[in-house]
Amino acid sequence: MPRLREWLEIRIGLDELVHSQLTDYRVAKNINFFYTLGIVALVAFVFQAFTGILLMFYYIPDEKDAFQSIQFIMNHVPYGWLFRLMHVMGANLMVAVVLLHMGSVFSLGSYKKPRELTWVVGALLLLTVLGFTLSGYLLPWSQLSFWATTVVTDIPSAFPLVGGLISKILRGSENVSGVTLNRFFALHVAFFPFLFSSLFALHVFLVRRIGISAPPSDSQEPEEWKEFHHESHPDGPPFYPDFVSKEAFMVIIYLIVMFAIISMAPALFIPHDAGIAADPLNTPEHIRPEWYFLAPYEMLKLIPNRFLGIALQVVLVVVFIFWPFMDKSEKTNILKRPLMLATFLVTIMVYLGLTVWGSR
Amino acid sequence: MQRRGFLKLLASILGLSALGAFAYPLFRFLLPVEAALVTKNLSIPKGEVPVNTTKDLMFGATPIIILDIPDKGYLAFSKVCTHLGCLVKFDKDRQEFICPCHAGTFDLEGNVVSGPPPKPLRKFAVRVEGDNLVIG
Amino acid sequence: MRSLLTVICLLCLVSVSEGAWTELLQKEFPKTPWAQRPRVERTVCIDCHDSDLMKPEYKAIPGEWRKNWHYRNGVSCQDCHGGDPKDAARSMTPQSGFLGVQKPKEIPEFCGKCHLGIKENYLESGHGKALMTTGRGPNCVLCHHSHDIQKASLEIINPKLCGICHTYDRAREMKAALLLTEAKINEINGNLQTLKAGLIDTQDEEETLFRTQAEYRTLFHSVDVTLVKARTVEFAKKLDALSQQVGKGFKELKFRQDFSTFILLIFVGLGITVFLWGRRKE
Repeated sequence: MPRLREWLEIRIGLDELVHSQLTDYRVAKNINFFYTLGIVALVAFVFQAFTGILLMFYYIPDEKDAFQSIQFIMNHVPYGWLFRLMHVMGANLMVAVVLLHMGSVFSLGSYKKPRELTWVVGALLLLTVLGFTLSGYLLPWSQLSFWATTVVTDIPSAFPLVGGLISKILRGSENVSGVTLNRFFALHVAFFPFLFSSLFALHVFLVRRIGISAPPSDSQEPEEWKEFHHESHPDGPPFYPDFVSKEAFMVIIYLIVMFAIISMAPALFIPHDAGIAADPLNTPEHIRPEWYFLAPYEMLKLIPNRFLGIALQVVLVVVFIFWPFMDKSEKTNILKRPLMLATFLVTIMVYLGLTVWGSR
Repeated sequence: MQRRGFLKLLASILGLSALGAFAYPLFRFLLPVEAALVTKNLSIPKGEVPVNTTKDLMFGATPIIILDIPDKGYLAFSKVCTHLGCLVKFDKDRQEFICPCHAGTFDLEGNVVSGPPPKPLRKFAVRVEGDNLVIG
Repeated sequence: MRSLLTVICLLCLVSVSEGAWTELLQKEFPKTPWAQRPRVERTVCIDCHDSDLMKPEYKAIPGEWRKNWHYRNGVSCQDCHGGDPKDAARSMTPQSGFLGVQKPKEIPEFCGKCHLGIKENYLESGHGKALMTTGRGPNCVLCHHSHDIQKASLEIINPKLCGICHTYDRAREMKAALLLTEAKINEINGNLQTLKAGLIDTQDEEETLFRTQAEYRTLFHSVDVTLVKARTVEFAKKLDALSQQVGKGFKELKFRQDFSTFILLIFVGLGITVFLWGRRKE
């Protein structure tokens, strides 16, 4: 081992790299577990990519064979069930982690100057993740896949003039068909991974370039940011091993949750309609989107005018992406900003409420 | 110091076990799937299926029916109706397969003519090799 | 004279063609593929039969119908009775193949349009022969009713119903033989549902179970005690083979649970270790 280290040291300056990136790189003194969620999201993505590629070894992206190929993976390929279930659970857990990450960055005020761009890229990452879930949902070609996709790709048609065109481009045909399956497969395994990786690289670059933020503390007011400099924490603990051990712990919690669900409730995210092959002539009685879309879905159902409902959601998404430019206050401690705290809590309550309502 | 060393050791052991617990399934997953899943071909003498008659057989775990139809040659279908699983019977006069449970009807191609079956009858390939018929 | 002849010709033609129509359409229902139909909630038939103008026994029909197992499976008025379910003017005409209340002798053919296997067994049975020769005897409607048809169960065989014409002893013997098989079938079905919930593929086993149950219930319609008792043994063997398949399914399910739990425990151990290791640093 020491020989290998020396070999690398001579060629790439390993020691300096380890010092600057790991052992001498310091994080804020009061850093908390919420800061690990970004890395957990990355690990979740890596698991998805890995299990996804394994599934691609046996999955057939054609409407005639897709459903049957998944049944084959689940029942005849040795341990096929394991990797498929990891992929399904992982998809849902990743969305949960990303939402928690977003919520904690928001409540810790880490999106403020100079980190507005990091937030914007992060928002785009969230949209990419949702793109993954939407495109991936169709691939099993079950009744659930087919009809949920029909509902979702119908939504843009509420827009005047271009709406119908957008729906048609998404589907590649008048209604959801084998063409849509091919299209969504290409998006899911090629376009979105590429997009995610690029955005992620940019996101991490920004975080490291600007420096990890510090959670708001009672003693200090945040410094005014006038010109570029790297935010350092000279009196904080080293990234390795202190923060890395926190990150490792959170990753293991993620895996524990995933395997707890796989061993105790393997059909949790695979309802009855997911076990029936798609039948374009027969709409099942209760088609609902997956849990993370229940809130916007319920909202659309509540607003009487279809166009208004969708326009409102588009507006909310735009507000979400450009939030740092709307909240220009320099104060980061949300506990000292009652109005902001109230808005945040109300938003969460409304989201949870709509989700529960939509699940009935 | 001893305790930290112990924890590090424990973490390595557990980490390696976790990796091993995934490595074995991954290895089995990547190997070719057992050919035993594919039922071996079935061979019967041609004489057992004279023209315009049918014969019932088992192909692996599936009950099948073989017929010799003038103009169409030898045909082999699964007898399992695609509605709920009852076994179909061949009606010579109508030249159709009819299921006694809910009158699901299939033509000589196996396609659904009427009734509740959602899919065509599963068809099997039949070849003539010398004096034998090979199914599968 | 010519006009009289013409009238007679026309009358003959109409009556023959009507009869021919009816017979043709009677044999053709349902004549198209109709896989997994959605439930039909409203037809012109139900619209009229729901109205207050109807006689009480006709008005009761839609209510009874909604309890019907056929309704739940997308089978509607016209599938049995013919007629046009969308056009009130043609809903009960002979030309659209309408069949109204059937005479007792016509009932087996009426239900037997779809339930072919049962019709065959029934017509060969003592019950069927009695009905067809004397015009009196138990037909489908007596035991299964006409509009509130429930999923077939062994409770249909009871002293009240069977005792209408004769003593209950033969029926009791047959019911006892059927009860055991029925219990086995229900147990296997329950197990298959459990496996399905654990994501094990049960398609083949479900189909085998269904056809075994269908054959076995069809068998009862022969009302032949000796036959039922003899075939019960045969069915028991088939069901045992099926139970073994189910057992294999449970083994696989258990293996999956055990394996996932094993990995879970490794991660729990790892989590505790990393947590403690992290704490040591502070």
